[in-house]
Amino acid sequence: MSFLDFVEGIFFQIAAIIFLFGVVWRMVGLLRIKRRKDISPPKASAAMGFIKGNFRHFIPRGIFARRTWVHLVGGYSFHFGLLILIVVGAPHVAFLKSQFLGFDWWVMPRWGFIVASDFAFAGLILLWVRRISDPVMRLISEPSDHLGTGLTFVVMLTGCLALQESHDFLRAMHMMFVDLWLVYFPFSRLMHAFTFFLSRGHSGATYGRKGINL
Amino acid sequence: MLRSLSLFLLALTLLFMGGLSASAQNGGQTLADIIARQNGQIVVPTPSEGRTVTAPALNGPLGPLGAASDSDLWRALRGNNPLDVTAAPSESQVMQRSGQLWRKIREDVIRKYAGFAPLVVIGLLLIYHLAFGKMKITDGFSGKTIPRFNHLQRVSHWFMAFVFITLGMTGLLILLGRPIIAPYLGLEANSIVTSAAKEGHNLFGPLFIIALVWMFFKFIKGNFFQWVDIKWMLKFGGIFGGHVSSSQFNFGEKSWFWMVILVGIVMSITGVALLFPWIVEDMRLLQLSVILHGLGGMLLLSVMFGHIYLGTIGMEGSIDSMLKGEVDENWAKEHHDLWYEEVTGKTATEKSDTEDTK
Repeated sequence: MSFLDFVEGIFFQIAAIIFLFGVVWRMVGLLRIKRRKDISPPKASAAMGFIKGNFRHFIPRGIFARRTWVHLVGGYSFHFGLLILIVVGAPHVAFLKSQFLGFDWWVMPRWGFIVASDFAFAGLILLWVRRISDPVMRLISEPSDHLGTGLTFVVMLTGCLALQESHDFLRAMHMMFVDLWLVYFPFSRLMHAFTFFLSRGHSGATYGRKGINL
Repeated sequence: MLRSLSLFLLALTLLFMGGLSASAQNGGQTLADIIARQNGQIVVPTPSEGRTVTAPALNGPLGPLGAASDSDLWRALRGNNPLDVTAAPSESQVMQRSGQLWRKIREDVIRKYAGFAPLVVIGLLLIYHLAFGKMKITDGFSGKTIPRFNHLQRVSHWFMAFVFITLGMTGLLILLGRPIIAPYLGLEANSIVTSAAKEGHNLFGPLFIIALVWMFFKFIKGNFFQWVDIKWMLKFGGIFGGHVSSSQFNFGEKSWFWMVILVGIVMSITGVALLFPWIVEDMRLLQLSVILHGLGGMLLLSVMFGHIYLGTIGMEGSIDSMLKGEVDENWAKEHHDLWYEEVTGKTATEKSDTEDTK
């Protein structure tokens, strides 16, 4: 078994299982946290607050928009860029088809992959340099924040370095970091990809129940 | 070095004049070549090794007009017009001769000398540091700071730094992989590294253009040259002692800024041409792009090490400006006294409030 077979085969399967079970375990754990019952009479719907809280946080309020535009542009650029790369990037679709699904779907042309990569990289770098250059952000950042960012960056970078698909070694390096990323994901801040809607929803529901206009 | 520089300048001239003479293109005839050809072989010289190609032997005696000569064959391969090197080989030419000179410049000038310029700069900085040590703040840290760069300036700077270093590393690997990696780790390892570096370089190239534009607008204010810069320049920025006055940015910083912007524009244009070669019709422009891109990259990389040195271990207190956005008052008085006076309204010779209370 070659190293590539290992990182694309058994290691990937183990990493995927750890990822799935880890995410489910964390999510169930969060949902099962007991909260003290709020006995005050509700002034408005908490459920609506939950939904509004989620959608309202997709854009900053006017007075904050100018101050947070780097965060906003960086965040959207990175997340949308990465999402597009994963979902309609030709190498990813080909891998999923051959290894798991047996079917494929529309994929981006090569130039689209490069453009999406540039957006994702620009966003990730922006978010990270903001983290290290803003005194407050630097203060509240922990090593796990930098590790998660760094690991994500390395996964993306090794993927792009292998884009020519000329050497198995480069592909194996990418897959190895993907596997490590999947293992690290559930136990890190990267979990925000799944928990963000709970966090926003909790704040939204709390304020919504009190009748605060979000 | 002088010979190589002359060769480079000559090459540029020839590239614009329309190419080399026919004799330079065809190369010299040797007895071995002639014998080989008579034996039914054609030796095609390459920079690294000879390649032997089997050609049909002549059948029967030559007539009064002889046989089709090699010059006819090569002329046909060049598109029947020896001076026409403007078309891409794929369209009307199988070969075009300026490529030979381009390759020679790349290997004998850029790769051999310019490629190692960053190492020379690092060596000089090391010698300077060992001889003079870190530039300390004469009066020490005052404990009081004044804002120097706002958050967006710092973010744009670090964004550029990140992209710049990535491009520099991948560019060096592309340029120097063959002479440095291949002999020691093998051709396969070099192929892997070069393939990866090329993809990385191509990917981060567009980000450099974005970073360049962003930095230009964030740092243009304060980077125009002033009369005080001439005094600064004549005293070599005070690196050998003595005080030199400076506004927000000194002559060295301004020169670095304009170098990044102007050379960066050249790098961007040539980079786009190399990334999308089909948009450039003239093959010579692509060859010139490779040369300018290589030289520009080496220049920026070399000076970058000086910038990093002074911004970190070379000068006490300077890193704070880009990490925290604030600098110590005594640092500002010592290195940017005119800017200090402008920002605080105090004179730079005054002692800070903290010192007064001691």
